Amino acid sequence: MRKVVLIPMILAFVGAFFALTQQDQPLDPFEEAMKQREQYLKTFGILPGDLFASQGEELFHTKRGPAGKSLEECDFGLGPGQLEGAYPYLPRYFADDGKVEDLETRIVSCMQRIQGFKPQEINRDDVVALTTFVASKSSKAKMQVVPKHPAELAMYNLGKQLWYTRAGPRDMSCAVCHDDHAGKRVRLSPVMSPQQGLGSEWPAYRFEEDRMYTFENRIQFCYASVGIPAPAFYSEPQIALTTYILAEATKAGHSFQELPFFTR
Amino acid sequence: MRNLIWMVLACMAPWAMAQSYFGPGETKAVQGSGAKFADALLNMSADQLQCSLHQNRLPADATPSFLAAQKASIQYPKGDKFMGDWQKGGAIFNNLQKANCFSCHFGSPANLGGDVGPSLEKYGLQRGQSEAVQRYTYEVIYNAWSYFPCTVMYRFGVQGLLTPEEIADVVAYLLNPASDFNTKPALGGKR
Repeated sequence: MRKVVLIPMILAFVGAFFALTQQDQPLDPFEEAMKQREQYLKTFGILPGDLFASQGEELFHTKRGPAGKSLEECDFGLGPGQLEGAYPYLPRYFADDGKVEDLETRIVSCMQRIQGFKPQEINRDDVVALTTFVASKSSKAKMQVVPKHPAELAMYNLGKQLWYTRAGPRDMSCAVCHDDHAGKRVRLSPVMSPQQGLGSEWPAYRFEEDRMYTFENRIQFCYASVGIPAPAFYSEPQIALTTYILAEATKAGHSFQELPFFTR
Repeated sequence: MRNLIWMVLACMAPWAMAQSYFGPGETKAVQGSGAKFADALLNMSADQLQCSLHQNRLPADATPSFLAAQKASIQYPKGDKFMGDWQKGGAIFNNLQKANCFSCHFGSPANLGGDVGPSLEKYGLQRGQSEAVQRYTYEVIYNAWSYFPCTVMYRFGVQGLLTPEEIADVVAYLLNPASDFNTKPALGGKR
């Protein structure tokens, strides 16, 4: 419980800390993030992402919900409670509920099936912390998303369709930036294609936002920033886009970053 | 009567095509993401749909009619005055919430530019202020797809993101030799 109290305390320093370390000359975003990361380690001895992961670890092992069970029975694809190396295979098809699920959706379905929570009782912050914890068990692991089951292939195809859909008042699609202008910069931010390893850094702590971002948070942010209302958490378009992006990155042989990652 | 039938069919064409881009199962999946998200994705305009279907690379035989339709969508400012107030234009160009031009284009003295689009550094000094240059610049901002089919640049006029007068202000910001854009150095130095 001590760690949970630490989080608001440490985050309270972040605003002032961030203001103090701002530079006149804009830095490369990657270098800037690495610099901020070093400052965090020097000042606090721990990274914010690791605090979320330990909060998630506590939640994972605590008996909760109407059924009074922990999530240790939850099978992420490698067997109940097997967390090491499970994340890189997600999204994947799960026979127990007949669905293709990403990590976040899998956590939510386990909270319902094993712990007996109703969907409206599930707290998003808990899911983010749990996602951060489970993903941290696959830090720097090689991506392994290879759709084979018909439901996985259907998800991949839906993701590909969405990837190319031009929509909204700014005529945007994922592809028109992330494929057609991969390697360029929007302001200071590099634009990456799945083939260049897009998606390898989530879940990550974004110091500019002072928040943990999961893959689904990042997809929502993408849509919102191009004027298209964001797709709901745990919905099929979220899982479909994640499948498409990570399957393409897997084909190109990419690995995840240090997870949870630290970024701007 | 026959005309009426054709009109009804023509109005239904984009709807019918949108149905064929997403299959029935996919449509249902998109609807599961919320009404507003589904509304944006399932109601592509006919030209958005063409770009989606061809993954932004229109086939040669579809290009002339596409360009003609985009060109026909352009409305011009009162009295064809393509150059407005460069100071107002600068405020529009450099506002992240408004036109946000600098995110993709280099050349602004106020903001460090991206490189998704071509550099516009000293645009007015490079190109002069002929009527043809003014008209071209106006048309590209109003509807970039009238020159570059399916490009990433927003269609500011078509989509109502900027009024014709606001676009003329941005044209002035880029072209007027007295504009900060042409007198002050671009932020970030030469790329």
